[in-house]
Formats: sequence, C-alpha cells, structure tokens
Amino acid sequence: MSHFLDRLKYFSNPKERFSGEHGVTTGEDRTWENAYRDRWAHDKIARSTHGVNCTGSCSWKIYVKGGIVTWETQQTDYPRTRADLPNHEPRGCARGASYSWYLYSANRLKYPLVRGRLLRSWRDIRRHHDPVDAWAEIVESESKRRDYQQVRGLGGFVRASWKEVNELIAAANAYTIKKYGPDRVAGFSPIPAMSMVSYAAGSRYLSLIGGTPLSFYDWYCDLPPSSPQVWGEQTDVPESADWYNSNFIIAWGSNVPQTRTPDAHFFTEVRYKGTKIVAVTPDYSEVAKLSDLWLHPKAGTDAAVSMAMGHVILKEFYFDKRSPYFDDYARRYTDLPMLVMLREHTTPGGDTVMVPDRYVRAADFADHLGADNNPEWKTVALAEGGKVVLPNGAIGFRWGADGRADQGQWNLEAKDARDGKDTKLMLSLLEDEAHGAETARVGFPYFGGVKNPHFTDNPQDEVSLRTVPVRTLPLTVDGEQRDVMVATVFDLQAAQYGVARGLEGENAAADYDDDAPYTPAWQERITGVPRDKVIAVARQFADNADKTKGRSMVIIGAGMNHWYHCDMNYRGIINMLMMCGCIGKSGGGWSHYVGQEKLRPQTGWTALAFALDWIRPPRQMNATSYFYAHSDQWRYEKLGLDEVLSPLADKDAYGGSMIDYNVRAERMGWLPSSPQLQRNPIQIVKDAEKAGMDPVEYTVKSLTEGSIKMSCTDPDHPDNWPRNLLVWRSNLLGSSGKGHEYFLKHLLGTSNGVQGKDLGPSDAKPAEVAWHDKAPEGKLDLLVTLDFRMSTTCLYSDVVLPTATWYEKNDLNTSDMHPFIHPLSTAVDPAWESRSDWEIYKGLAKAFSEVCVGHLGVEKEVVLTPLMHDTPDELAQAIGVKDWARGECELIPGKTGPSIKVIERDYPNLYKRFTSLGPLMKSVGNGGKGIAWNTETEVGNLADLNGKVLDEGASQGLPNIDTDIDAAEVILTLAPETNGHVAVKAWAALSKITGRDHTHLAIHREDEKIRFRDIQAQPRKIISSPTWSGLESEHVSYNAGYTNVHELIPWRTLTGRQQFYLDHPWMVAFGEGFSTYRPPVDLKATADLHNIRSNGNKEVLLNFITPHQKWGIHSTYTDNLIMLTLNRGGPVIWISEDDAKIAGIVDNDWVELFNVNGAIAARAVVSQRIKPGMTLMYHAQEKTVNTPGSEITGVRGGIHNSVTRVVLKPTHMIGGYAQFSYGFNYYGTIGTNRDEFVVVRKMAKIDWLDNEPVATAEQA
Amino acid sequence: MAAKNMSMSLRALSHLLTYPDAELRAHLAELQQVLHGEHALDKARLAALDALVATLLAEDALDCEAVYVDLFDRGRSTSLHLFEHVHGDSRDRGTAMVDLGKTYADAGLVLAPGELPDYLPAVLEFVSTQPPRQARAFLGEIAHILNAVHTALQQRGSHYATVLAALLELAGEQVHSVEIAPEPDIDEAWQEPQAFDGCSTRGQARPDTPQTVHFVRDRASTQIGAAK
Repeated sequence: MSHFLDRLKYFSNPKERFSGEHGVTTGEDRTWENAYRDRWAHDKIARSTHGVNCTGSCSWKIYVKGGIVTWETQQTDYPRTRADLPNHEPRGCARGASYSWYLYSANRLKYPLVRGRLLRSWRDIRRHHDPVDAWAEIVESESKRRDYQQVRGLGGFVRASWKEVNELIAAANAYTIKKYGPDRVAGFSPIPAMSMVSYAAGSRYLSLIGGTPLSFYDWYCDLPPSSPQVWGEQTDVPESADWYNSNFIIAWGSNVPQTRTPDAHFFTEVRYKGTKIVAVTPDYSEVAKLSDLWLHPKAGTDAAVSMAMGHVILKEFYFDKRSPYFDDYARRYTDLPMLVMLREHTTPGGDTVMVPDRYVRAADFADHLGADNNPEWKTVALAEGGKVVLPNGAIGFRWGADGRADQGQWNLEAKDARDGKDTKLMLSLLEDEAHGAETARVGFPYFGGVKNPHFTDNPQDEVSLRTVPVRTLPLTVDGEQRDVMVATVFDLQAAQYGVARGLEGENAAADYDDDAPYTPAWQERITGVPRDKVIAVARQFADNADKTKGRSMVIIGAGMNHWYHCDMNYRGIINMLMMCGCIGKSGGGWSHYVGQEKLRPQTGWTALAFALDWIRPPRQMNATSYFYAHSDQWRYEKLGLDEVLSPLADKDAYGGSMIDYNVRAERMGWLPSSPQLQRNPIQIVKDAEKAGMDPVEYTVKSLTEGSIKMSCTDPDHPDNWPRNLLVWRSNLLGSSGKGHEYFLKHLLGTSNGVQGKDLGPSDAKPAEVAWHDKAPEGKLDLLVTLDFRMSTTCLYSDVVLPTATWYEKNDLNTSDMHPFIHPLSTAVDPAWESRSDWEIYKGLAKAFSEVCVGHLGVEKEVVLTPLMHDTPDELAQAIGVKDWARGECELIPGKTGPSIKVIERDYPNLYKRFTSLGPLMKSVGNGGKGIAWNTETEVGNLADLNGKVLDEGASQGLPNIDTDIDAAEVILTLAPETNGHVAVKAWAALSKITGRDHTHLAIHREDEKIRFRDIQAQPRKIISSPTWSGLESEHVSYNAGYTNVHELIPWRTLTGRQQFYLDHPWMVAFGEGFSTYRPPVDLKATADLHNIRSNGNKEVLLNFITPHQKWGIHSTYTDNLIMLTLNRGGPVIWISEDDAKIAGIVDNDWVELFNVNGAIAARAVVSQRIKPGMTLMYHAQEKTVNTPGSEITGVRGGIHNSVTRVVLKPTHMIGGYAQFSYGFNYYGTIGTNRDEFVVVRKMAKIDWLDNEPVATAEQA
Repeated sequence: MAAKNMSMSLRALSHLLTYPDAELRAHLAELQQVLHGEHALDKARLAALDALVATLLAEDALDCEAVYVDLFDRGRSTSLHLFEHVHGDSRDRGTAMVDLGKTYADAGLVLAPGELPDYLPAVLEFVSTQPPRQARAFLGEIAHILNAVHTALQQRGSHYATVLAALLELAGEQVHSVEIAPEPDIDEAWQEPQAFDGCSTRGQARPDTPQTVHFVRDRASTQIGAAK
C-alpha cells in the first residue's frame, strides 16, 4: 500500500520518527539546557600557578566568570620534549585543584587588621604627635609595650585603613632605624622562585632601608650543607624528566608519588623501560609500594647503609676489578688523586699514629711550584712517574688580577698548570713504581660506638687504625723546611672504608660478613637492613653505572637532611655517586628536590630583590643562627661539644658551647650578623667623623679595643634585640618555626608551652656570650604578617595585611623540576581590600618616605658583610684558623673578619628609589657566582620597555618599576636565562676565567628575549647560563654538574673538583674530614617529663619525624575543608601497632606528644605502615583547626614544631675558605629537628578551651 | 494579605551587620528611627535591636570592632557570606555566586567591586530594592542559612543574633534553633566509621531515588560516632 496519504505535504511533524522508531525529531524548546552549558561557560581564562612553597610549578588555567574565579584546570601547553621522552604535562595535583576556594573562604583575610590594644595606644598618641614620635612613646613605655605583646595569639584584632597601617609600620621602622639602627628591622620570606616579584617587593624595601632579609633554605633545613661542602654549589639537581634517562634509581627518603605528584609520572614511566627502582624509607611509604625493592633502615641510620654500599662499590669496582670508566672519572673530576699531609697524633695510650690533616698546597714547596698567584690555594697531586704536578682548576686559579700568568687555567683539563702538558694523575701511591710503596699507620675517627639510648651502637675502636701507602716530600711548613708524609685522598679513602688491599697490618675487613667498620655486616647491626640486600643494591647500582657511564641516580628526600648529622647521610650517598661517575651524567646523579626550588633568572632577580641597582652590599642573615639567638633557644642548649668532637681532636681547643662557635664565626666574618654591632651603625659613622677618622678604620679600632661590641656577644641586651619583623609569603610560626614555643616566649612575649628550664646556676655558661639571669620576653616591638589567610603567624602578629592570592597578582615562577618559566597572572582583581605584595611594599615605601622626614635624611652607616662565596673573599684564611678577638691576628676586614663598608641611604627618597631601576646597573653592571658583565644595553631596553620616570627628583630619567609587571620585566631583561644576549655575555665572561670558549652554549639563542606576555601565552624554556651547572638543550635533559664534566668548568671548591675529603681544621676536629656514620645525637628532651606528670595512661618514648604530606603543601590547604576531609579533619600523628598496643592507644584516639620543648595534641593513626620506635606527624598542620588543649601545657596543643628546638653544628659555620664561604641560603647553620624524641600517651581529657577569654578557638 | 513594606528596615538591618566603624556608629540613631518608623518588626524585636545599638554605642569603639572581627571576619559558622554555609569550599560556590550576581544584574543593579554577591548586607540591600512580596520570598529562600547563623551567634551570646532573628521575622519564618553540634561532636564527625560507610554515599544512590541537597552541615554523620 502506498504511503502517499500518510505523509503530510504542507506540514512537517515535529515529532517525526525515523529509523524504524529508533529516532525521533523534536522541535521543542531546549533553552533549559543552557543552564548546563552555562555551568561550564566562562568569560576568560588566565594563566597562573600556586606560588610560594610548592616545587611543582604547574601552570594552571584559571576560569573567570562575572569577575569571579569559578574553578581551575591544568594547562596542557608546555613545549614538547624531544622524541623518546614523555611530555611534561599534565602537571598538577588535588591541592592546586582546590586552591580557588581559598579566594572566597571564610579564612580569607579581607581587611588590614591591627591588634586592638596597639591601635588604641597608637590612635591616642598619634593625635598629638608625629608618627615616629608616637611610635617612640608606645615602645619606650614598658607598660604600653607589654600591653599588646602579652595578648599576641589571643585575638582582639580590629580593621584599619591601609593609610593608617602603612603609617604605623613605617613609623615603627623609621623609629627603630633612628634609635637602634637599620639592621634591627628584619624580614622573613621563603622560596622566591615560586613568586619572585612578591619576594623581591619585601626584600627590596628592606634592602633600601638597610634592614635584614633572613634566609630560609638553611632554616627550613632543606639546605644540605654537604652540597656546598662537596661541590661548592648550593643545590643543583637534574630536572624530573631526567629520571626517564636513568637506568637505576634509588629513592632514598624521598616519597616521590606523594610529594612530587606532578613529576611522578616520569618515575613510573621509566620503570616500563626496565629501570630498577629501590626505595629506602623507614616506613612503608607510597614510594615503597612503587618500587622493586624496599629497604627500611631504622630512621636516622641511613649513613651506615650508604657507607656499607660505598665499601662494596670501592672493593668490587676499584680493587677486585678496576672499572676503566670509574677510574678515569675519579682522576679527572674528583679530589681522589690530591695529596693530603699527615700529621702525628699521640693517642691517650701513648701510641703515635698519623692522621689526615690538610691538602698539600703549592705554597708548601720552596718554589711554590712556580705559582705566584694564590699559591696557598692551589692543591697538588702526583702524576705518572711520581712527579709532583700542579693540576689546573684549584680555586687559586679562579681569582687574581686581570692579565695574570695563570688566568684561564681555572678549568678541569687534565694538565699541569706549570707547563700546560697533559698529565694523568695518580690515584694511589701504589701506582708509583719508581718510588716503591712506603706505608704508615693512619687513624680515622669512628663514631659507630657512640651511645644513644634509642639507637643500637656497634662498638669498635674509637680510632680505626689502617695501613696507608704514603710518601715523604720535603716541604716548607710554618716557615721551616721538613720532610712531610703525604698520601692521596684515594688511598686514605680506601683505608677509611676498610677495604682490604693486601697491605701489611691494614686491619681491613676480611669480607662482607666481618663486623668491621663499614662492611655490610657491620651496618646490619645498626640499621637492621639485611647485608645481602645492601650488597646486591650496591653491586647493581655500580654495575649499571659502569655499563651506562653514570646513569645511576639517587633521589634524596629532605628527611635525610633533617638529622643533626645530615652531612653523613648525604655524603655517604654522594660518595657512591662520585665513585660511580654519576655526577654530571645524563640520567645519573644526586636529586635533592627540597625547598630551594631554583630561581632560574637568578642574577636578574638579585638586582631587583636586594636593590643592588641602588646600594651595594645588601644586608643578609642566616635565619637559623638568628632565631637560635633571638628566640633564646641557646639558653636551653643541652648538647655538649664533647658529644660531637672527633676522638682525634684536641678537646681543650674545642670547648665552650654551640653559640660560642657561632660568635667566633661571626667575628671572623664566616657567618653574617644581625643585628651587627651593639651601637647604631648610623651613629658609628657620626662618631667616626667626630673623631676625625675613616669610619671603617674607626670601627676596626673600636672592635679591637672592645669599645664597640658585636651584637652576637650579647643577644639578650635590649640594644641587640631584633625590633621589627616583617613576614610575608610564609607561615613562620605555624609551620617553619623550629622551637615554636621558644619563639612565643622570648621573641613574642606571650603565652607559651615551654616546659624546660634554661641553664641553671650550676650549668656551665657560654664563654663568648653575656648571660642574663632573667631572659627577656617580648623582644619584638612589632610583628607584621602579610597573608591571604588567617594563619597561625597572623594570629600572633600585631599587624596583619591582606595580600592578593595567587590568582590575583602578576609574578614569575620557576622550579628545579622542569626547565620552564611561567607566570602568575591577575585572573581577577584582589578581593576585598587585599593588595599584591608589590603594591603593599610600594605603599609602605611611600609611607616611609613621608614619615621619616625630620627624623632620617640622607644617612651614612657601616655595613658588615661576611666573606662571601664566589668572591675573592673566599680566599681568606688558607691554613689554620686565627681569631682576632683572641689576639691571634689583626682584624683585617675582608680577611680575618667581615668586610666593612660605609653605605649611604636616602630615606626621604625611598619611594622614588623603590619604583625605579637605580644607576648602579649602568655604572657597575651585573653578575653572579663570580662572573660579572656589563648591562648598559639591558638598562636601555628597560627604559624603552617600562618607560622612564618623568617626575623630577632622584629617579628622573631612570627606567620605571611601577607595577609588578614592570618588576617582572626587570628580572627577565637582566637575567641570562631569559635574555639571550645576556646569556652570551655571561658565558663569555666565564670563558675568560676558564680559558675555554663556552659561548656556543647560548649563541644559538642569542636573539631570544623572553618577556612577561610571552610566558603568559605559553611557558618558555629558559636559556642555558653559567649560573647553573646544567644545560637547557634539545639533546640532554637538565642535569647538575653537566657543564663541569662536559665543559670542564671546575666545581667551585678548593680543589676545583668534587671532594671526598674536606680539610678545614673544624671539619677535621669534628670528625668529618671523610664521610662516616654518626648516630643521631641525644637531645635529652624527655628525661624530665617521662613518667613524671602522669595522667593515668601509659607513656612511650618515640622518635618524632615530620615528612611532607599528601593533603597540603606545608600548612597551606590544611585549613581547607575539602583537603581536611581526606585526612581526618585535624592534626594527626601516625604510630605503629606495637607501640600503640604498649601505650593502650587505639586508632583515632586523642593523644598527646610532649617533651621539654612543648606539647602537641593530635589524633593517632595506628598503622602497620609505621615501624616501632617512631611516630610521624605530617608537616605542617595548623593549630587553628580542630586542636584541643594540651594537658601538659594547659594551652592549645601546639604545632609539629612545638616539640622541637634548633641545635647548631659548628662545621656549618665555617667561612672564608673556598666552598666553605657564606652565601645567602648557600651555607650556614641549619635547623635540624629529627633527632628529637617525644613522650606519647593517650589523653585523659579533651578540652577544647572554649571558655577562654577572647577565644582563640577557630570554628572549623 | 498585602505584604508589609519593609524596604527601609532591610536597609537598616543591612547596615547593622556591617563593620561598626565610626561612620556606622554616627548613624546608629538614624537606623533606630527608621526601624521604629517602618513598623515592619514587632515591639519585642525592636527592643532587642535597640539593645544591640545601645551596646554598640555604650561600649568602647575598638572593643566593639574587635568583637565584630572575631565574629565575622574569620571563622566559618558565623560567616556573613551565605554560600560559606551552603557550599563551603566546594566547587559549586563560584557558580552560585555567578548566578546570584546575574540575579542582581537582571534586576538592573550592578554589584560594586569590593564585595562578593553572597555577602549578607549586600543581599539585604538588594532585597530592600525589591517589591515587598518578592523581598519576602527572597528572604524565605535564605531563611535556613539565616537560622544557622542565628543559632551560631546565639551560642556565642552575641547581640548580633537579634539582627538575624529580625530578618527571619521579616521573612515570615519561625526562628528555630538549628542544632550546631558542640565541638566534641564536630570532632567526631571526622571519625571514620567501622566499615566504609561514613563517606557520603548519599547523592550517589540508586537511580530514581531523589537526591537530597543538604544546605546545612549534616548532623547524621556526627551521629555515627555517637551511636557507636
């Protein structure tokens, strides 16, 4: 039948069906669907990232609709990698994906806040006085000062206008400068790499007023001092993509999938290539689950494992057979062939043995080996035939007058500097057939028998006696010629590891099962790791490196570095890498991804950040020593020097206490000081002028006479207190403040949980530091914090300034994990009254310029600078340690003491200086890491790009730095990494020193200039520069040490090579000339509390460690409800099933952790993951969220740092000695905290402290 | 029943919830007059509001400001940003704000920069521009949040609770206390259940069952621990 009549001719049926009833066409209204479409619609996408303390440096798309940030997703447009290498993207993690909600969270800071009591005084007095006088009246009245100090942390904030807070802060700063000196104003901000303009804003302000930026990398204990010690390099590491080039990876204490989330894919991907992965962690961590083999030494004993692995590697690859690759690498790139003097030592038993002393130097030879320039800084070796040679590359070649004879010999060419002939250096004196083998008995300190109640020792002789091949050379030492016994580092090192060589009486380990120092059997007793596992891993690691020429890698985690004897943990591993020729090799090397995060355009940034365009030098301070002194943690010191000295050291010469060493280091110019001198440095210049003397001479004379004291000798004297502290981009008190309760007590002067007593009348007091019976409480007059959320630090501050979040400002971001630079961008304007850090400090600079008038004008002051690394000052005291204050030498600034310079500051023009690029960039130029170049062209480019200042006055005609983007352009234009012309200039400058042409590394990118808008469009790969030791290229992934090995640029060490041996007298005295194993130190923090203040529950003693977490980046995100939901919603600690059983704790119980330093209240997670004997609390959980009161302290349970206290180590204070020279965040004391033990017990009563006056209780 | 005009009262209540700086304190008397003049609220409520005004005037200015900061500038339960109570840190918050902003725009009003659309005083100012019936309906829609904030404020013994009560009255809603779990209960809310049942399986239930949207923090989860 026909369908003719069924079909409509003039109409179509909107509901017509087709395809056999499977389809239907409808024409009904579908606008309701727009609701769903609009859900994902947006007005714009901005590119930004999360920028203070996350190493990820992931680029994100920020979606904005109607002026509101609605969500973020990962960017996927990173430049491609080369063939056969996975791409970087996607980068990002759950933390970043939840960031947008911080913008509108109830925890967001919306208005400038001031402590009510302070503001009341201020307003009362300000009505009748000018701002600076008003501040004077407040802080000069003890009652007015204590009135607001005592309630720090207890709420009571009121809003104030920007104008008012700026005036108050500026007045406080100006008063402090006028009364005490500019260096009494300090600032703390970490990790500039993640938002470098924001960091620079504050440090530029501080540097212009003469204040002190405090370091962070050492304070966070993320700085591994072993890196500067061995390489002269702060930290330089392979990018994560280079993991993919590796064939054997040990993840040692690094929880890659948890803490390196965006990079972990390279780690998992390379396993599919057949790469073996070994995890070494004390707990069954995420990385352990991902690996082929899991080793779990008892926490804190890792160095014993690595020493044993080193033993295996040395034995099997240098003696049982000789790997030609290792052999060649060791001769060219390490100090193993270098000669070391031996000196006689008489044991307590009356026995005479030889001990390693210092490297032989050219100056020790009658003819100085022909070296006129710095002969005492040139190390010596023997070449084939036993001939003495002066190898190129020692640090003495690096510095000297232009046109000197040895210019261009600072390189690693295997040549004798005297005649330029090729040489093959001798590793062992046994190679010297001409002279035959002489031997001597040499002693090495052994610490494995040191008792610690919490660790298993392995008692052996305190001094290991070994037979070492030696030779006698006629040398001139201390002005007299005598025969001196010398040995190579290689022979000493083999002996120290206990490797048998068949020498008579060598006392070496018979085999791996012999319980002699550093054998696999020896470590088993200490660490609990089966010896066969250690042997297998060491053998495979080395065998792989041998076959692949160095493609064995160790990814190392901060946990390893947080122990008092961290250098041993690190050097044991570094030794393995150096023995196997892995450093500077693609897919090999040392991967320490912690805390420093690599500010790639560094030399462009330092100019802006430390105002080097206006004033040089800036003040800088190592934060660990600063907080140790100023939060009075030194007053509670219980670790004695005798507990850490070498058994071979002269105990009488190394007495005193930890802070004494710090004072000596400051005096000798090794470490910086803040404050510097007990008199106002502005006053010193005036006094000098009155006396008709040059201010530098006057200072030297006064210091020598003792009429001016250094502040470090009396940190508790009111003249030496830090008075103002600015904190930005940081949660100093809620996260990173080791010895948290001491901060509260002494620096802030408010309620605290310190349980211990300081040194009593019967205790020995420090020798170099004045002791006040009553310790000061409340040193700080003013604590200002900039943040976007109400952190713990904000709660304790006097003024809280609301900053723009990471989606509300323009900034730059780089990382060590990938080679790209990309921005933070203003997706939306700062919400409420918040402002970007740049705008805040600019506003402060403006207020300062106004309030200082009548109090401060153009002022001169003296600035002390330590002997800096990468400057000629690093050649200070070549041989021996002389302290001018003990009359051992004259005070010579820049040689035996800090450099002293007179600086002129123009306070009323502060704002003009802040907002323009000063004239020094043009007249002096720029540089970094010992290289300098001219920047005239770049200054001209910036004037064109940013415009010139038109206003009349001090800055007229100079390039503008008005906005955060202007500031970013300054960095990008001046830095070699982002400006190809500068890169070529920098390489050319280095070529002059090394005598080798390096410009080919950047010449192909010379015309490239990366600008802010470029990186907003797409992340850009930076340009290779001599600031770094790796290359950005299309052929290799970035790998540290690559240019040292492939371009023959020396390491910036004494020998110019990677050093197994560190010969500074303090290193030797403290037993760390060679790497060894040292058990954790006993901090004695629980004895006074364990089983003494019972609450009826059982108490256990556990080691307290604080690894990084999955749900936050330090304290950020730990107050975000979404993140909290994933992790029990508040502070938790992890504990083993065994310990929980002993203490009667079940999962989710509230427990308390305490010792003399303070207390923590948290929930217990009872898990098989944890081994007995330790407890783990993730770093860092805020006490603002769900934290009840502590039964011990009676105040709110603290943060993880409430049970810690910083302990210094003298070897970290060494200065003026090649790689042992100060650099900001490069070398210095570090805030170790993992040797700490705590008492753990179940809480009897959970008190939320709801009825506290002015509740600090946060609503969760 | 013709809806009572309450435009000026809403305006006044909106101001009362803002920061008690010098400017606001100078206008407190004016606010009182308006509230009494419009007769939108009953006598008892007006008396309570008078007490709040009296407190703000009598007590030290900086103390009042500190109390305000503690109550409203930080912490979640007394937040004056409405979506804090509904969406918290969740992803829906941004879209919700965008929608609310659109509601304002549809009514011909543009929200000035400096505040978010869900800020209660801003919402009230918007409502005050609407005809009485719509205004009342709008208030009704947010009544459950107002109740939650009211309870939180009352628990802290704050005089500001009365402003929220007044708003509920204008909405024609009962003031009823929303149970806010005391702290230890909040604490138990995070407790993991014996079996894997504590994570919200609601919302992912079987097809055809209605998905309940919870605007106030769910009490049920806190009872899991309690029932143990």
